[in-house]
Amino acid sequence: MTEAAEAAPARADCVADSAGGLTFHIAGWTRPAPGSYDDWSGALVLVRRGAADSPDGEVRLPLGPTADGRLQAALPSTVALPEGRWDIHVAYGEEEPQRLAPGLNDLRSLVDRRPGPSTSPLSVRIPYATKHGNLSLRSWRRAPHAEAGDIRLEDDTMAVRGRLYRVESPADWLAGAVVEARCRRGAVPVRTAPLEVDGPDFSFTLSYPELARSWDGDRADVWDLWLRPADEAMAPARLARILDDVADKKEIFTYPPRTVAGPHGEVQAQPYYTRGNDLAVRIGPPA
Amino acid sequence: MHISFLIHNAYGIGGTIRTTYNLARTLGEQHDVEIVSVFRHRDQPVFDPGPHVRLSHLVDIRKNSPSYDGADPDHSRPAKVFPVAEGRYKQYSALTDRRIADHLRRVDADIVVGTRPGLNVHIAREARRGPVRVGQEHLTLSTHSKGLKRALRAVYPRLDAVTTVTEADAKTYRSQMRLPGVRIEAVPNSVPEPGLEPADGTGKWVIAAGRLAPVKRYDLLIRAFEKVSAARPDWRLRIYGGGAQHAKLRALIDELGLYNHVFLMGPANPLDPEWAKGSIAAVTSSMESFGMTIVEAMRCGLPVVATDCPHGPAEIIDNGVDGRLVPTGDVDAIAAALLDLVNDDELRQRMGQAALKDSARFDPSRVAGRYETLFSGLIARSGLRGSLHRARGSLLSGAFMTKDSLRKVRVA
Repeated sequence: MTEAAEAAPARADCVADSAGGLTFHIAGWTRPAPGSYDDWSGALVLVRRGAADSPDGEVRLPLGPTADGRLQAALPSTVALPEGRWDIHVAYGEEEPQRLAPGLNDLRSLVDRRPGPSTSPLSVRIPYATKHGNLSLRSWRRAPHAEAGDIRLEDDTMAVRGRLYRVESPADWLAGAVVEARCRRGAVPVRTAPLEVDGPDFSFTLSYPELARSWDGDRADVWDLWLRPADEAMAPARLARILDDVADKKEIFTYPPRTVAGPHGEVQAQPYYTRGNDLAVRIGPPA
Repeated sequence: MHISFLIHNAYGIGGTIRTTYNLARTLGEQHDVEIVSVFRHRDQPVFDPGPHVRLSHLVDIRKNSPSYDGADPDHSRPAKVFPVAEGRYKQYSALTDRRIADHLRRVDADIVVGTRPGLNVHIAREARRGPVRVGQEHLTLSTHSKGLKRALRAVYPRLDAVTTVTEADAKTYRSQMRLPGVRIEAVPNSVPEPGLEPADGTGKWVIAAGRLAPVKRYDLLIRAFEKVSAARPDWRLRIYGGGAQHAKLRALIDELGLYNHVFLMGPANPLDPEWAKGSIAAVTSSMESFGMTIVEAMRCGLPVVATDCPHGPAEIIDNGVDGRLVPTGDVDAIAAALLDLVNDDELRQRMGQAALKDSARFDPSRVAGRYETLFSGLIARSGLRGSLHRARGSLLSGAFMTKDSLRKVRVA
């Protein structure tokens, strides 16, 4: 391998389709010498971060040459990819897999994504460049999925709109369902609020003072938000924002804090997206 | 032609670096091209110079490198040739003075091109006799300090040509600098064709991109978007880029209650896939030396709403045809122009198509062609100048060449 090739990793372009599938292309590759072609095999190797040794921690996608001379690999939405961050490598034959660098990620079909009706798990894969300049992707796989939309803040409430996906009948599922705020600090009772429902669309309003009531005046509490259907036997749905092209919401979808009264004086309440792009509310001391 | 570029740091990221690579790469397909970087701070350049361009450096500031120059005592002595009034003066030293002078005394090229004022000064003062000397202005004369203008005026007469990125700046150079015999020519920056399909104009997103710096006036854009989203809440705005204004802009978005409609996306590279997600681009700067993002957005098929600020936008946008120019600083005018395009799908599509077509003139092949014409004209002229001293006999053919090269340059 030349010095240049060693220093500059191969780049992969990536195109997303609206169903959640991805197609990767590698342009700068060296065709194997004639005669060795039959033995040649290349693969895109996806390794789940923190789970490389687990049975579902690696996915290999065959790479094949296309008519325009590039190499192509497809990750269809039907391939079940466990949730997490996946580092993307390329491997030729028996060679050690090499990290790929991001080229052009054409994710326009993910922006404002509106998946169609289905009961199979919703596949979301968003490719992104890591801070070290490597190509990775984030994966979610959810059924049901409660997508959070606009959040309107008043002085002491937050009103969230959203849409439910991947249940037989979203309207039936939502009938009688409530939003449930669960405090990560144990032994704090959950808070619930009713939903307004219109087909698959829902909205609810959470009261900050209601959440602030349980704050012990020490470290900030985090409340995770779920939709809980009326039928206790059915699984609840975590509120998350994953139906677009933004791999990490936390720094981009931000909301101003509000100050409300609590049992230990003033409390700052602020909705935010977690590292996993799930919606949560932080209740803590004023800044 | 053998063309040698002299650049501050070819290993970094920035507008001048990118545009120099674009130009060198394209010229390198036909000519012998090298890029000489004063500094080298990392092993590999960020941008790809292509297979034909040679890249070298004069001062190695990689601490782990065996040829590290940072410990040279001259590196901590102030520069004497590089002008004090230049923005990068503090990075230059007696060592850079020496290395640049050595390089320019020996440079084996037909054309030496400087890419910033301080390096143009080196070239004007120190390039050996022979090569044609070209100084590029990537910013504008009017943004330079009095001290720098004075320094440039003293030595730029020794250049053969000064290039600016806009006609407006070329005009300023001609009227303010008194550079007899120096060609002053505007050649725009180049932007390659994006490697992906252009935007189709259906996404309900307005896109802006640039450093979050006061000169970009993103505060105006956010205020204008308050009016846009009041009329059309289904449209939203993404601003790509990082910078010191982030906290201020974030606070403004929150104060106006636009947190569901305006998003600070952070830096993105490459930008083309981000433009392609939008349907309209917005530039609300108070000043643009050129307006690179306008061309980038147009090459992705977006009509651009831009303030008619000095210097670039009016030379890029054909107002009402492939984009809109609005008065600088006018929030209502920005909002109205955005809403015109938001509310009229047909107009937006048509202007996007026109933007795609009209921006092709900034393709590296076209821009390199203009440089090629300029360079060969300059070589012809300098050949004449030399022959006047050497042999009267060649005067007639020399005069013909001069006329010819002037005509060619004008056509370009």
